[in-house]
Amino acid sequence: MDIQIEDRPPYKVVRLSGDVDLHSSPRAREAILDCLKQKAPLLVDLSAVSYMDSSGVSSLVEGYQTAKKQGLEFALVAVAQSAMNVLKLARLDKVFPIHASLDERMAQQR
Amino acid sequence: MTLNPLLSFVSQVGQRSLQSVREVGYHAALLAEAFYWLLFGHWRRQPVRLGAVFKEAVGVGVNAIPIVALASFATGMMLAIQGIYTLRTFGAEGQVVLGIALSVTREFAPLITGIFVAGRSGSAIAARIGTMQISQEIDALRVIGINPVRYLVAPLLAAMLLTLPALTILSSLVALFGGALYCAGELSLPIDIFFARTFEVLVADDVIHGVLKSFIFAVIVTLIGAGNGFNVSAGAEGVGQATTRAVVLGCIGIILADMVFTFLTSR
Amino acid sequence: MNSTDLAIDVSHLVTHYGSRKILDDISFQARQGEIMVIMGGSGSGKSTLLRHLLGLHQPTSGSIRLLGKDITQLSADEMYDLRKNMGVAFQGGALFNSMTVGENVELPLREHTRLDENTMRIMSRMKLEVVNLAGFENLMPSELSGGMIKRAALARAIVMDPRLLFFDEPSAGLDPVVSAELDELILILRDAMNMTIVVVTHELESAFKIADRITVLDQGRILMSDTVAAVRASTNERIQSLLNRTPRNEAINPDEYMERLTREIF
Repeated sequence: MDIQIEDRPPYKVVRLSGDVDLHSSPRAREAILDCLKQKAPLLVDLSAVSYMDSSGVSSLVEGYQTAKKQGLEFALVAVAQSAMNVLKLARLDKVFPIHASLDERMAQQR
Repeated sequence: MTLNPLLSFVSQVGQRSLQSVREVGYHAALLAEAFYWLLFGHWRRQPVRLGAVFKEAVGVGVNAIPIVALASFATGMMLAIQGIYTLRTFGAEGQVVLGIALSVTREFAPLITGIFVAGRSGSAIAARIGTMQISQEIDALRVIGINPVRYLVAPLLAAMLLTLPALTILSSLVALFGGALYCAGELSLPIDIFFARTFEVLVADDVIHGVLKSFIFAVIVTLIGAGNGFNVSAGAEGVGQATTRAVVLGCIGIILADMVFTFLTSR
Repeated sequence: MNSTDLAIDVSHLVTHYGSRKILDDISFQARQGEIMVIMGGSGSGKSTLLRHLLGLHQPTSGSIRLLGKDITQLSADEMYDLRKNMGVAFQGGALFNSMTVGENVELPLREHTRLDENTMRIMSRMKLEVVNLAGFENLMPSELSGGMIKRAALARAIVMDPRLLFFDEPSAGLDPVVSAELDELILILRDAMNMTIVVVTHELESAFKIADRITVLDQGRILMSDTVAAVRASTNERIQSLLNRTPRNEAINPDEYMERLTREIF
């Protein structure tokens, strides 16, 4: 799994790619929580995720709840189908704000 | 197929012996495996957890303190009564301290502790593991990838090895106190003098002798309890039989081991 | 069928209990993402087959390949790693009675991963959500009903997102509504996670509803292992009697019969 962190003011964008599984999800979790510590609204880009298991989803849940407590925006962007299936299984697709693409979210921002 | 009665008898004896040998072998393997996990579990990514050991130590050790103390106190007193009664025939009742001190630390304390822990915990271990066996919890452990011996037996063994010697020393002290109390009344022997004379006659070897035995008893109680639990196959009745067997075999095992150990070390 | 995408490949499995042969030349396959139902009456050997698939016993001969690895040949360490990809829901649930429901579900994570405490708790609660047991994590197993125990056991079985899920008698002892819910859950899990699911059952209705393929066992042998349609259309007498629930009424071999009755007497 790769993690890229990008500044797209006012957002920080965490882009996960590859397999987000039991081995790699702790790094994803850390990256997400780190960004939130800097009080930045956060978008998590999941377009390049080839596989995500529930430990990955769990990291997203923790990130979302942390952001909410601090009054920060937290949204998922371009969720790949494999990740979407896992979200749907726990009915989390109805909970997370999900945007079709990064550009779309940025366009709404303006 | 008709068998003549003698042949049938011989064949039964043979089968029984074979079964006994198999059982001894099984318990030896169980012991080896439990030690293996205690020593090397960490390298196999399956450590024996300290929390589990402490939890078991409370269950088998700390909770046994009241009953072991009571039994030890009564035994100490009984030894004093009997000792004074016997020695009086020789007019040597003053020697009773020596008798009590040696028999308590070398023999009675480890034996009482062992028997009571076998009764309390040997049966509980067999019942717990037996119940887990019939409810498929043991299978569930295995399919999760948790070795049942590592998870259930190794912490118990460690807890027994830690607490039984401690209980034995406690038992010695309480039994001596019981004896001292009776001597104080009967022989007007002050308690502090009783203990002073006790520690005069005792050598380190006597204490070590008792403690060594308690290590052996710890192994016996754990293995017989766990082994009988794992071998439960048939329902609630099987669990009942296993608990009974665990207590009976545990006590017999302790007494036999005690005899052998005493024979080998006290000649 | 390409051998690489086979999640389960059992070939020529023979097993004994003591000297009695329980399974005789069992061969069948299941692809990744397939729901395979193993059916048979009591004494057909289906429970034994499941125990062998789970690696709880060593067979007399034959091989069992799970996710490409022959579990009859694996070392303990390799088996340990493979088990991370296997989930099992036992017939009676086999929840650990000394732990809460939540601790039960978390246990595989604690044993196999070094995930953060929060992550593990969220994961286990997510799985309890999936099986509709949200909010029950602090109860003890003894406080649950039969259907809830099965669902909790299922939550524990899938907490690691295994690629292989084994489910023993999901409908046994449950009322029809609850067992229909479990069937539904099995289908959802397969669709969402592309799990290969092996269900052992004697319930026809449930089998036909969830199965992609059915393996029918009878007296330790495979009668057939094929699609639902093929099993329904089968002309095999034993399969038909199983489908129509008629008692077995096969020809008697007089010599064998007498031998069974008089063994060890004459």
